[in-house]
Amino acid sequence: MRNILSELRASLSRNTSMTISLIVTMTVSLLLAAIGLLMQAQAERTEQFFGDRLQLQVNLCTDNSPAATCVGGAATDQQREAVQEALSTNPEVRSFEVRTPADNYERAQEVLGQSESGRQQLETVGPESFPESYYVTLEDPQRFDGVVSQVSGMDGVGSVNSLRELLGPLFEILGNLQWVAITISVLLVVAAILQVSNTIRMTAYARRREIGIMRLVGASSWHIQLPFVLESLLAALISAALAAAGIAAFMYVVVYGYLRTTLDQLTTWIRWQDAALVMGYTTVLAVLLALIPTLVMTRKYLDV
Amino acid sequence: MSSGRLHIVGRVIRFDKVSKTYPGQKRPALESLDLEIAKGEFVFLVGSSGSGKSTFLRLVLRETRPSTGRVHVAGKEINRLSGWKVPKLRRQVGTVFQDFRLLPNKTVHENVAFALQVIGKSRSDIDALVPETLEMVGLEGKAHRMPDELSGGEQQRVAIARAFVNRPMILIADEPTGNLDPTTSVGIMKLLDRINRTGTTVVMATHDSSVVDQMRKRVIELDDGRIVRDEARGIYGYQS
Repeated sequence: MRNILSELRASLSRNTSMTISLIVTMTVSLLLAAIGLLMQAQAERTEQFFGDRLQLQVNLCTDNSPAATCVGGAATDQQREAVQEALSTNPEVRSFEVRTPADNYERAQEVLGQSESGRQQLETVGPESFPESYYVTLEDPQRFDGVVSQVSGMDGVGSVNSLRELLGPLFEILGNLQWVAITISVLLVVAAILQVSNTIRMTAYARRREIGIMRLVGASSWHIQLPFVLESLLAALISAALAAAGIAAFMYVVVYGYLRTTLDQLTTWIRWQDAALVMGYTTVLAVLLALIPTLVMTRKYLDV
Repeated sequence: MSSGRLHIVGRVIRFDKVSKTYPGQKRPALESLDLEIAKGEFVFLVGSSGSGKSTFLRLVLRETRPSTGRVHVAGKEINRLSGWKVPKLRRQVGTVFQDFRLLPNKTVHENVAFALQVIGKSRSDIDALVPETLEMVGLEGKAHRMPDELSGGEQQRVAIARAFVNRPMILIADEPTGNLDPTTSVGIMKLLDRINRTGTTVVMATHDSSVVDQMRKRVIELDDGRIVRDEARGIYGYQS
């Protein structure tokens, strides 16, 4: 064992630059794979967020509504009943929640009250400036067109907002970025595999004398392979640790430092649990990335 | 058949109608070779370059396999020996080369110990066997020298110590005196003779007529992959 460890040390010092470049490639490819996986987790959370929560916000007319359906000023009780009737009989609507102007005013205070400019905006308006609104949950979050066209034409309806439509492009971009990250990480994984192979080829060449003698005196295959396997494994574990640190930094700075505080209304953002799972995946990936080519290549180049 | 079995026991190397043709070559390197070498024998393998000596040694070491026929080494039929058992066979066969093949960054002691370390011998075994073997080959007191501080003869003694430290059944020597002057060669031959006297079978391929003529041991001459001479107390006997 001592002999193997000293060989590993000698081999590492001989291959320092190769090992470092391998670690860098592996770390970057693991990080990109991790980002792809985190985006995947985010996409799932977002899907769930939209599945659980409102898809449509139907606002009734207020005195100041500019819409053509609001020519009569604030919505009348009759109009309100007609809209509620339409929503409750539409088969695409699962349920809807009524929010009074007072509810909406309270919410606006909560959201806008976070910043100075928001507080200034609030000073000029009162509860009477807010409409009564209905937060509609759809049977199928993708199919909102029918409800929108039905309700938006009704008298007394000031506006219909689809949060999904509003945020759709954002999540499309996230989805595309996810694929970009995964594609680049696959390319880098290939590069990492080739680098592992190259490192082994060079080490095998540098050590051909020793290996020749080992074979001659009857050293077993695993004894010849072990220093190579340990070297790759060490590089893999260092890469996995660096990638995990990178993921942690990303979570701390981007997700917890920015997204969760600044864009918390948008969706529920990924948590540390998601990151821990991704770190587990990247560690397993790193070990496989190192071990499989090492075992294949040592068999090929060492003829063991 | 049972007598045939008994026959094998005393034989450490047996070639049974062995032919070897390398891929892409028309002429066989060895052709229908029948040969037996008994335990404790000292055998010279002579013949011009390309006569098949190297192929013979490679077959004994199982670095290659016969195209047809059967090769038995140390009681194992090498054709049927699976890959993972080859190291075990090679522990029974020590090998010495013309170019010594020492590790330049290790001391004499470390070079010899290396052969034991890589087959998993314990430290106490190594500490006992290495000095004993170095003394036997006449290198006591030089254990901590580096190979480049030694003469050619001394380097070959290190290589012999490394081949013999595990007390193999067979010692293969491929032109061991090829790089040495005649006086030094005599010393190496004396050492191989001493090793042979411990019961180790020695098979030595050589072009060195003087050492063959001095030793008067069994001489097998190969020509074009065939045995053309097999004498019990032979001489080199041909001009190359």
